[in-house]
Amino acid sequence: MAHCGGGGLPSRRPGAQLQQETAVESLCQSLMLDDVMLHDGRYRAICGAFGGYLQEWPDMSSACYAGGFGATPVQEVSNGGNSFSCSGGGSTKRKSDAYLDAKGECKRPRGKQQVCELDQSSGRGKPEKAKPAGTRKKGDVAAQKQDPRAAGGQKTDYIHVRARRGQATDSHSLAERVRRERISERMRYLQELVPGCDKVTGKAGMLDEIINYVQSLQKQVEFLSMKIAASNPVVNFDIVEDLFGGRRLGQACSPAAATMPMPIHGQMDTSCLQMQQMHQPAAAGFGLEMVVNNQYTPAQSRPLPAATPPPVSAGASVESCLDVNGAAAWDIGSQNLFSGFDAQFQQVQSDCLLDNLKMEM
Amino acid sequence: MSGRRSSSRGNSVSEEEINELISKLQSLLPASARRRGSSQASTTKLLKETCSYIKSLHREVDDLSDRLSDLMATMDHNSPGAEIIRSLLR
Repeated sequence: MAHCGGGGLPSRRPGAQLQQETAVESLCQSLMLDDVMLHDGRYRAICGAFGGYLQEWPDMSSACYAGGFGATPVQEVSNGGNSFSCSGGGSTKRKSDAYLDAKGECKRPRGKQQVCELDQSSGRGKPEKAKPAGTRKKGDVAAQKQDPRAAGGQKTDYIHVRARRGQATDSHSLAERVRRERISERMRYLQELVPGCDKVTGKAGMLDEIINYVQSLQKQVEFLSMKIAASNPVVNFDIVEDLFGGRRLGQACSPAAATMPMPIHGQMDTSCLQMQQMHQPAAAGFGLEMVVNNQYTPAQSRPLPAATPPPVSAGASVESCLDVNGAAAWDIGSQNLFSGFDAQFQQVQSDCLLDNLKMEM
Repeated sequence: MSGRRSSSRGNSVSEEEINELISKLQSLLPASARRRGSSQASTTKLLKETCSYIKSLHREVDDLSDRLSDLMATMDHNSPGAEIIRSLLR
């Protein structure tokens, strides 16, 4: 019976991963010597986990699907990745757990160590579903092999998946299973990223948490950038020009505007937010014209007659102007902004301005 | 989240809800050139994008915070700008 150790290794590409290969090779050979045979299903389960990382080499995934499923597992990896394929149906399982641990190390090394570790944990996790986890008999060997494994970044062309015991073996289910495993891998990774996600179990709960987290992050970014924008001496945002074509407000020239960073990709354009008291009728639909103008000395030499309130349809137009996600946060932020401007506004007889601002909002 | 119909915890969450959540997540993600009718955005790809997006958001928040703190440090405390920021932070 061709074993993973015997069958796959010699053909591997020499050179770069020589160390790993020899390590893996020796490991498998030692396993063979000890007459440890991996239950097919168990091994397949582990191999299935690799699918999760095929994502990182998208060109491989198609090859994997094409090559892997349904085929006899004795395919050699073309580029020499150390994908194991244990052929031999009906191999009995002895010391399965130990082998599994070793197998966890035998996995194809991926570029990222983190991914590798996930790999191993997932690989161990899956079989434990079928059988209770036993003691690690080959723990030393397994630990030994970890480093060379993690360091490698081999890509494999094929992923060999075989059905677990008692499960469907047609290619669709296999593909489905690989896909599911891939997804759960990613969900696990996300779970680590998102704080508080580990309290929830189940896909829906985690997804919910993730969505909340992303939204709150976005709001945070918006708010921060708005604060930064507000802090610049003279900020000149020029939405109106772009959007309403012709409502050109005189703008205080702002050296800051040039350097004004709007780093938020896509959320805030380079278009500017302009808050200024202009002599426009308080008709809605003029869009947002707000000039964050700290120098309230009407340095604007231009005439500022009766401070007709700039039409502020803060919520809607701001969003559309700035292409901002998360309207709620923007509203909150802009409300804060407005309230902060009370002092300045009053300087320029902008009581009505403020009232209108509040009205609009 | 108020928008989500929560399933009874005993049962498995329905597929429909999960798809709903996933599409919601997709809408949150920055427009990675969503082709029209990209309803078949693979979940795996989506999750991966979410990962990278979250990471980039982290970076951005850090960057903005640094910049803001720098600004606050250098800014004259009496300037209107500082006033604004203080009011925002309140």
